[in-house]
Amino acid sequence: MTYRLEITLKPELFDAEGEGVRQKAKNYFGIELDRVRTIYVVTIDADLTTGRLQTIQSEIFTNPVTQISSYSPLDVEFDWTIWVGYRPGVRDNPGSTAMEAVADILGTALGSNGAIYTSKRYCLQGKSVTMEDADKIAGELLANEIIQQWKIYAAEAWDPAEGIGIIIPKVVLDHTPTVTTIPVDSDASLAAVSDERGLALNPADIPTIRAYFLDKDVQAQREAAGLSDPTDIELEYISQARSDHCNHNTFQGLFRYRDLATGESDMVDNLFKTCIEAPTLALKKKKPWVVSVLWDNAGVGKFNDDHCYVITGETHNSPSNMEAYGGAITGIVGVYRDPLGTGKGSKLVMGGYGYCVGPRDYDGDLVPRLHPRRLLDGIIEGVRDGGNKSGIPTTFGQVLFHPGYMGKCLVFVTAVGIMPALIDGKPAHQKRTAPGELVIMSGGRVGKDGIHGVTASSETFSEHTPAGHVQIGDPYTQKKMHDFLLEARDAGLIRFITDNGGGGLSSSVGESARYSGGCEIQIEKVPLKYEGLDQWEIWVSESQERMTVAVLPEDIDRFLELSGLHAVESTVIGEYTDSGKLHITYKGETCAHIDIDLLTSGFPQWEFDAHWLPPQMRGLYEPVLQAPPDYSKLLLDLLSRPNICSTEWISRQYDHEVQGTSVIKPLVGAERDVNSDAAVVRPVLESEKGLAFAQALLPAYSAIDAYHMTSCTIDEALRRLIAVGGDPDHIGGVDNFCWPSVQYHPQNNPDGRFKAAQLVRACWALSDICLAYEIPLLSGKDSMYVDGHLPGRYGETHKVSALETLQFSTTGVIEDVNKCVTMDSKMHGDLVYILGVTRDELGGSEYYEHLGYVGLNVPRVAADEFAPLYRVLSHAIKKELVASAHGIYRGGLGVHLAMKAMGGNLGMQVDLGLVPVEQVDRNDVILFSESAGRLIVTIDPQNRENFEELFKDLACACIGSVTTASDLIIKGLDGSILVDISVEDLKSAWKKPFGDLV
Amino acid sequence: METGMNDVNALVLTGYGLNCDHETAYALELAGAAARRVHINSLIDGTVSLTDFQIMVFGGGFSWGDDHGAGVIQAVRMKTHLGDQILKFIEAGYLVLGICNGFQTLVNLGLLPGFDHDYTRRSVALTFNDCGNFRDDWVTLTVNAASPCIFTVGIDLAEFPIRHGEGKFYAEQNTIARLIENNQVVTRYATPDGKSAKGRFPYNPNGSIDDIAGVCDPTGRVFGLMPHPEAFNHWTNHPDWTRRKETLKRQGLATDTGPTIGIRLFQNAVDYVRNNK
Repeated sequence: MTYRLEITLKPELFDAEGEGVRQKAKNYFGIELDRVRTIYVVTIDADLTTGRLQTIQSEIFTNPVTQISSYSPLDVEFDWTIWVGYRPGVRDNPGSTAMEAVADILGTALGSNGAIYTSKRYCLQGKSVTMEDADKIAGELLANEIIQQWKIYAAEAWDPAEGIGIIIPKVVLDHTPTVTTIPVDSDASLAAVSDERGLALNPADIPTIRAYFLDKDVQAQREAAGLSDPTDIELEYISQARSDHCNHNTFQGLFRYRDLATGESDMVDNLFKTCIEAPTLALKKKKPWVVSVLWDNAGVGKFNDDHCYVITGETHNSPSNMEAYGGAITGIVGVYRDPLGTGKGSKLVMGGYGYCVGPRDYDGDLVPRLHPRRLLDGIIEGVRDGGNKSGIPTTFGQVLFHPGYMGKCLVFVTAVGIMPALIDGKPAHQKRTAPGELVIMSGGRVGKDGIHGVTASSETFSEHTPAGHVQIGDPYTQKKMHDFLLEARDAGLIRFITDNGGGGLSSSVGESARYSGGCEIQIEKVPLKYEGLDQWEIWVSESQERMTVAVLPEDIDRFLELSGLHAVESTVIGEYTDSGKLHITYKGETCAHIDIDLLTSGFPQWEFDAHWLPPQMRGLYEPVLQAPPDYSKLLLDLLSRPNICSTEWISRQYDHEVQGTSVIKPLVGAERDVNSDAAVVRPVLESEKGLAFAQALLPAYSAIDAYHMTSCTIDEALRRLIAVGGDPDHIGGVDNFCWPSVQYHPQNNPDGRFKAAQLVRACWALSDICLAYEIPLLSGKDSMYVDGHLPGRYGETHKVSALETLQFSTTGVIEDVNKCVTMDSKMHGDLVYILGVTRDELGGSEYYEHLGYVGLNVPRVAADEFAPLYRVLSHAIKKELVASAHGIYRGGLGVHLAMKAMGGNLGMQVDLGLVPVEQVDRNDVILFSESAGRLIVTIDPQNRENFEELFKDLACACIGSVTTASDLIIKGLDGSILVDISVEDLKSAWKKPFGDLV
Repeated sequence: METGMNDVNALVLTGYGLNCDHETAYALELAGAAARRVHINSLIDGTVSLTDFQIMVFGGGFSWGDDHGAGVIQAVRMKTHLGDQILKFIEAGYLVLGICNGFQTLVNLGLLPGFDHDYTRRSVALTFNDCGNFRDDWVTLTVNAASPCIFTVGIDLAEFPIRHGEGKFYAEQNTIARLIENNQVVTRYATPDGKSAKGRFPYNPNGSIDDIAGVCDPTGRVFGLMPHPEAFNHWTNHPDWTRRKETLKRQGLATDTGPTIGIRLFQNAVDYVRNNK
């Protein structure tokens, strides 16, 4: 039988969700609604007695104080009602917890065919609302057709007895699992199969794949195993592992770099090896705190004698671009599995985010799949639920608006964990599999979701991109698994652990079996969400919340018992061997038998032409600009720009202090509303040591030169840590590259060679600056193909490519959290200092962007000049001579003096004539140049002598003081007052764009 | 943290998506208890017995992902399998604390408000914030000195973070009146200078009726609150700590790095158990 329970808040209660819909309909589409009420719908597909239905209605689904409910449609007034439910096979988290609760209270499970589904019905009141309006609200606000279905009823068409009817989104696959053999008689036929099946094989790989399967010895071995031509599961395995997502073919590629201005050329063989691995290994030798890098799911650094910290960063761009909430929640929950799968497992202690989207108020001709505003709403909520429900503080993040991200948005997610230094007396960061150990899959079940995710993300987005890889992460299931696995780790039960992310079992088992030298998998043992999946689908499905674990046979009973205690499903699916083969059977029949080292040898390197044309030769120049007379208005307008203004509404939705470790929060200052330079946590509660974390994004500079974009991004991320009290001797980095396609194609990617040159230059900068600052790259990832094809006004399509973007994350151990400082000015009378030199570097600046220019003079990093300054500042903070410190970032000195004043809620009087400059004689340049390597510091006047003594040979000058007055007063080079604005007015301008959002 | 038993033993629930268990156990240890994190299923299967403890903490957030109402499914599971044991625990005069999701669970179990010694009736609720979203922010709380609550003895003003999406305290008017009359309203949201928030956002962050942030049962031994005292376990947890440190330094004073007000709340519980042996 099927039953439909409708639940809603009592009429006298305020419906915050309904009110949110009402406001968005008004703000986004100009549709006036009088009232919106939300009805929760629970659809039960199981045989239950009336008594049992009543029990679950009253005990689980209805709060007697706040709600009413009924098994027939609720009589809530509306002019239009919109029902929204998931499509079959889409993860319904509340449906799944409802089944747990019902089974618990009834003392019996619903049976193998029983299920519970959740959906919502919105009741809209508004006399002037048309069908078209209702359709817009449904399709562009409440539901996304990729994962959801909806129905719209007008009041007059509503049947009060029937309601929405009974909709059961059950997956029924009337299909017998079948292994298909694929002929390899020619390159062309294999290429055709690759296209047809969505394998996305690189044409250059096809001869290598064929050569393997046509090899006489291989054929003999396969015949003995009962196989001939490759099976679909084998080709899928190769396709997954060879995808750019898993194998980083672009970064491992050969770049023929040519400077078109000088004619000089340079062969760069493997960007990863030359620009990431080499500097990191060199630094690892110098820095004993670097514990484990370049091989595991995340990098490992020493925290104290008993603990290590773990960090990695990821992106989840393609899925978020199609289904923002689902993509983002899957992204954050997914990256949290990386530290959990690092070494023998780490506890998650902190997360970070970076979102790059189109302008929130975009009203141009291009039609992206999701409007940037809706996209951003969904992304924010996805990371909110993913992070908050995981019990992990989201301590730092950034948002960046630029039209280039309309083609594909970027969702950066970063995860930090902590692990004991030793488990069972052995280093916890080490792990291996060995023959005889059991292969376990723990966590969620496998369905059709997420098939071909990695190959899809290795392509440019088009309307034909399969929707199947969009998922909805389930932080609840993962949190249970996280708690269980850490207990299993501490009990010494885990020999090896890795996560199932891109490529699913194909990647996790394939990679872990390389240590032992082989494995035998009985694929029919993998627990499924529903029957009817082909063998290859089980193997490559990216269904979330799963880890692959190696356990000794003698430990398996204890492991499974602990798994049961934590209500986590764990299944033995095979055994590690040393046969040299990946051997998969289905009910005793071999369906894959392939050499485990096939993927590490013999495949051709990808090749790229990279042509560099310096910015002057690309026609960039400095604008001819007279300095403006009205600096007050200019400064206020800059503070109101989307990439400068307050985004408090995002930070406040994120639990940034769960785990009780918070030392420096994302928002600080007298009114707790100004962004801190970095976050600091005390991840081991018993210790006074801290872990600082910050990130930077400066893609605007890529319009001039990605070398300097990269340098400045790293410098900013480093400076952010220094500003809170970080130690320059212990800074680790994480690089996350997001780049448009770099493969030249005369029609489809005519500037591919230039973008390839930008990538080479960015990698050179990464290596140069990390070596100069001694920042080992603890982890990193690349996501290429940040391009999209968007329809325009006449239905024509436009290729929209993102700016070449690098997010750089830094982390560092702080010896004593009690000495950290925040950015807000503290006391009136304190002296204001500028550290570092301001140069004529307005190229790519916020100021130029505001006035419609790009410019030429992009900021440059002089690490040998900046590093000594950072070192001395770090020392001064440790000596407790500094009351506040804040870097000068995007927007320049003017904007960041304002930040400092707003942070302290105190006035400030400064004189630009005292700012250390080099070849600058203009007020606007001093105020808005974005020269790197600079900070603003305030100190107690009593510390003046000691402070100045420390900085005596460095660029450091006192430019004024914090005042009792409530104004920020800036005097120009000629002594006249350029800016005199109350802190209150600064703040209201800074909060204007998004201040009303919650 | 899970050390051996001492004279005051505290249990902190874990499992099924619950968080805040580590820092809650840490706060209890700082307060002098022997704290143990115990999986809900270990209580149900009898591996761990409630009778070994004198303080039971329903903590953290997001059991069962907050689906179907925060704390609802946890309450169902606890009531179905452990209902009698929990009632006996309360009858024995021991202490129960519910923080955030734990508070939500206590009201869904009916342990709060516990009118007329009925610890099974749901008569108050914590529902969706009026602001329409999850919110993390520090709030100021005033404490009702006339309340019988054990946990807040000697505390008149406290600052803790709230971190919830469903924290609006709601009940029918006569229930609210009775809570007030019985002095069961323990903590109220207030302005930073300790004046009544009068429902104003963000001081009252969720639209709670009468600014109610925490209530106790008539005995004062069962207490639930939305703000997180365990998240103020170190002086650097406070959002103003760098400002206070600087202000005190200028006056030639050192910062008080001793037990925070969050820890004092747990100390009250430990002292009560010790004094009522």
